[in-house]
Amino acid sequence: MIVAERKPFDEIRSMVAGYKKVLTVGCGTCVAVCLAGGSKEVETLNAELNLAFKKDGIEFGAETLERQCDMEFLAELDTRVDEYDALLSMACGAGIQFLAERFSHKPVLPAVNTSFIGVNLDVGWYEEKCRACGQCVLGMTGGVCPVTMCAKSLFNGPCGGTNKTSCEIHTDQPCAWFKIYERLAAQGRLDQIIEISPANDWSNQKPRTLIQPGYEERVKAMR
Amino acid sequence: MMTDKSNMVDITLNKDVLVVGAGSVGLETASKIASQGYKVSVIGQKTACARQSGCTDEMLNSGTVNIMQDVVLEDVAGVTGDFRVTLAKGEEKMKAVFGAVVVAPNYSYASLNGAYGLALSDRVMSQSQFEAFMDSDGLKKVAADSGSDADDVENVIVAFLTGFGQEGDPVSTGRALKSALAVQKTSGCKAYIYTGNIKVGAKGLERIFTEGRHAGVVCFKPSVMPEIEQNSDSVKISITDPVVRSTIELEPDYVVVEEALVVGQDNLDTATLLRIDTDLDGLLPSNNVHRFPVRSNRDGIFVASNSVDAANVALRIAELIGDGIKNVSADQAKVDEERCVICLTCYRSCPHGAIFWENGAAAISPAACQGCGICASECPMDAIQLGDFTDESLRKSVKDAVVSVEGSPSIVAFCCKNSALEAGEAAARFGHNMPAGFKMVKVPCAGKVDVEFIMKAFVEGADGVMVAACHEGNCKAERGNTYAKWRVNEIQKRLENMGLGKDCLCFTTIASNMAGEFAAKVNAFADKLA
Repeated sequence: MIVAERKPFDEIRSMVAGYKKVLTVGCGTCVAVCLAGGSKEVETLNAELNLAFKKDGIEFGAETLERQCDMEFLAELDTRVDEYDALLSMACGAGIQFLAERFSHKPVLPAVNTSFIGVNLDVGWYEEKCRACGQCVLGMTGGVCPVTMCAKSLFNGPCGGTNKTSCEIHTDQPCAWFKIYERLAAQGRLDQIIEISPANDWSNQKPRTLIQPGYEERVKAMR
Repeated sequence: MMTDKSNMVDITLNKDVLVVGAGSVGLETASKIASQGYKVSVIGQKTACARQSGCTDEMLNSGTVNIMQDVVLEDVAGVTGDFRVTLAKGEEKMKAVFGAVVVAPNYSYASLNGAYGLALSDRVMSQSQFEAFMDSDGLKKVAADSGSDADDVENVIVAFLTGFGQEGDPVSTGRALKSALAVQKTSGCKAYIYTGNIKVGAKGLERIFTEGRHAGVVCFKPSVMPEIEQNSDSVKISITDPVVRSTIELEPDYVVVEEALVVGQDNLDTATLLRIDTDLDGLLPSNNVHRFPVRSNRDGIFVASNSVDAANVALRIAELIGDGIKNVSADQAKVDEERCVICLTCYRSCPHGAIFWENGAAAISPAACQGCGICASECPMDAIQLGDFTDESLRKSVKDAVVSVEGSPSIVAFCCKNSALEAGEAAARFGHNMPAGFKMVKVPCAGKVDVEFIMKAFVEGADGVMVAACHEGNCKAERGNTYAKWRVNEIQKRLENMGLGKDCLCFTTIASNMAGEFAAKVNAFADKLA
């Protein structure tokens, strides 16, 4: 799924300041699942905004669509949008753009930062798994992504920095190519590690993780 | 409960019971459950005699108690009354349905000789080794060989060391006391006990202690661990006696050291598989004062660790399963299937394992649900509503709780009905002085206090919001208070970011009998807001 994180409140506040009536639009798919932009987050954000703009009299509406990346669902807003001065979208970058495209006469503001494509490790805890690089090599790498997990995104590894199963950047960061070696060896396909893939030069990358605010303690306990 | 009786439904419960663990306690539990009229399957490695553990020939021959030797638990799905279990014996797999599951853990022991600076040897034994030594009449033979078996000659001295290597527990104390008494009753032998923390809080232990004293067992209870010197063929134990003010030395022939209970990976794996919590020491189940000790955090899953538990488990199972039909409230917690996006947040957050998913949406078992509302507060789509505490009714309660009183701050207190609500009501009855603007909002558990409700109280004009939960480790729903604390911490951060300061929101824990303390906390909060 696409993982997102709500923007700092200050940033959202300064974006909506100056408008009279704002519609907060949630998305019921990825961002709902990752606890960033579903209807609960819409209600919570609106409560915070109401509190912050109590004196200014800004009005906040709420609507959570099934998906903002499908025009059929966006169409549900067609008759409502003109009541508002601006739309505050809690969808991922794709949804926000699609919303902005459909209602191009209205300012569309992002309430979340789209973080990565990842998996759910526990409630509120996500790990990046895919960089959407457009050239999937998982078939050759035993299902372990070297683009995401290797700090150098090496298509051919490991490099000299592999350090007793870890990456040289940190002992907590496993070496992607060690993982690939282990997986291929266990499956009896180690010969595939020899095959050369065209090299890429992305550097200083490692899988990003994200813990939603309020879940830090739970994740600490889980670890 | 205000639950509308018309929403009650009958649920059919499977009447068979699975017991995991075929030791003496597991088999005894099976016999007790069978006596209540239910069919029991016992799996695991059989380590005790079924008949000696209470199973009758009739139970065994009729299959009422079915012992499945070396069968292990592989997977468990479903909920109370309907646990869909996969069992395995080697490569062979079988599926079965049970109404209830009982875990009878087989804990093992680890010698604590290291804590006393002792190495195990012919003279230094662990409690288990010494019990085996006694069982094989080892001590009797040694005493006879030592040249005298007359009662008045004490040639063989055995010293027990207990309660210094660990906090101690009645089981460990009981084993030392029993062994010491047996030593004292062996001709020509004399027992000494050096104990730190002696725990006699179990049936019969005080009697064994007294019996031992009368028989001549000498007990020392020094305030610090004795000085112990181990040489190749002797051990010397010295203590300072505060009464005679001198050092008392003993060179026993045998030293017996206490043992710690080891939970073992197998028991932890079983707990993980069944999704039941352990206590801080890893023992099953987790402690919860709101539950009978044999109950786990999941309805229908029980733990029997001893004979008393075995009898209690059978009673609880009869109460649960009865004649196989149970009348429960259908709208304790309900999922709106249209809104649900199956993010699994509720499934992962439910402390009672009452949630599963089917047909593209989360589903909550009315039989297993305890109505705490943690799931409803965590759901990112507001797709779960509690019958007695819907979001709509709580929003209204919040609105009504914000009152404007001249000279008093408006305080909205979300109060858990298991603790703070009772403390607050008692404070009012006892006439404790409370701020005029203080109002309570009843919640089924602090875990049902949504981030949104707290914010809503401020939006409505509250000067302060208090979230009052049960004490740590005292939550009926295991971690509703923890969730509430996390949420309060998070909102405090948000309030600070908004420039409002975090002091207008506080989290507190309280017990239902702490009316005075509760009033004091509320007044202190009001003073801070003023």
